[in-house]
Amino acid sequence: MEVSEKRIEEIIHSYQPDRRYALAIMQDMQREFQYVPREGMEALAEELQCPVSSLYAMATFYKALSLVPKGKHIIKCCDGTACHIRGASTLIDGIRRELKIGPGETTQDGMFSLETVNCLGSCALAPVLVVDDVYYGKVTLEKLKEIIQGVKEGGAE
Amino acid sequence: MIEITINGKKCTCEKGEFLLDVARRNGFYIPTLCHHPAISGQACCRVCLVEVVEKGRSKIVVSCVYPVERPCEVYTDSERVKEDRAVVLMLLKERAPESDVIDALCKAYGAADGSRFAAIDGEKCIMCGLCAGACAKLGTGAISTVLRGTAKKISTPYDEPSKDCVGCLSCAYICPTKAITFKDDGQTREVWGRTFEIVHCRECGAPVGTREEIALAARRAGEEPEELCPTCRKKKMTDIMAHTYGIV
Repeated sequence: MEVSEKRIEEIIHSYQPDRRYALAIMQDMQREFQYVPREGMEALAEELQCPVSSLYAMATFYKALSLVPKGKHIIKCCDGTACHIRGASTLIDGIRRELKIGPGETTQDGMFSLETVNCLGSCALAPVLVVDDVYYGKVTLEKLKEIIQGVKEGGAE
Repeated sequence: MIEITINGKKCTCEKGEFLLDVARRNGFYIPTLCHHPAISGQACCRVCLVEVVEKGRSKIVVSCVYPVERPCEVYTDSERVKEDRAVVLMLLKERAPESDVIDALCKAYGAADGSRFAAIDGEKCIMCGLCAGACAKLGTGAISTVLRGTAKKISTPYDEPSKDCVGCLSCAYICPTKAITFKDDGQTREVWGRTFEIVHCRECGAPVGTREEIALAARRAGEEPEELCPTCRKKKMTDIMAHTYGIV
């Protein structure tokens, strides 16, 4: 969803103005906008009467919070033990070749973001790739190309 | 009251008092980096470790946050302490090779061999966070620890010159390894990417502080900002009092 002042205000005011809700509010912003916008953090600091630096420290500490907009499609590549052994790093290299992005990065056109996760609990399907909450198991480099192509075409519709 | 012995000397202390405070009160010097009486509980540099023997069992504890609960024997310079402190100092030296303070500690207490670690070039900071604590308490909370793990650092939000900073230099003053860089030529002061104008005392011309710093102090005291140095302020107060009591 597009970042708007109105929406930020709504998220902030859905909680009591107390510092213990700072993380919950930022998580809500993350869910809503796919990242924690700077305007949001500054408005929240104002509301909670706390320095921006304390929120910034929190936002940079937690991996679940991002400070830059995430892509439209989020690729989660499992790099847990089972997936790692079954070649997850080859898949990450494959994605780097295909989309020119590494873990934690977003493509220039804002279409894809790549994240690595530590285990998705589907080790029998290793290596696992999750694109927009759809699971792909036993992924190979050929399959990876098809998956990305599929998402690209689906996204163009 | 609890009776403990430190290096053989009998000392008394209250239950729950921190060992470092008891030792220092009794004249035993324990080196520290991240300890500051005004900002408690950092306990991250680990230089202040000592050996505690309780009920015949010996253990190494961090004295700045170790509360004395029962009678015990404390050794601040035993073989075990020396050995462990040498490792701690070696790790700190690899972390902050540029720091003279750590260098001096290593020379004084000895450091273990750290050649298997890659020292961080040009680093002075040991990430104790005292500066962020001081800024939150005395300043405005303009800096904090950002990121985590090996990327963790002290910075302003978005690594930009902070709007909140008042240039009071509390951070640089409290830093045990002098890792925070600033410039002060008597007219302007540069810190955290911002330049501040220094206000001079309207009576004697001595530097008082940055304009923002004076405004913040006045706001907290609920007074009008006044461009007076501490000495001239005292003089003004005594003049007022002398006048009130009819001495002059």
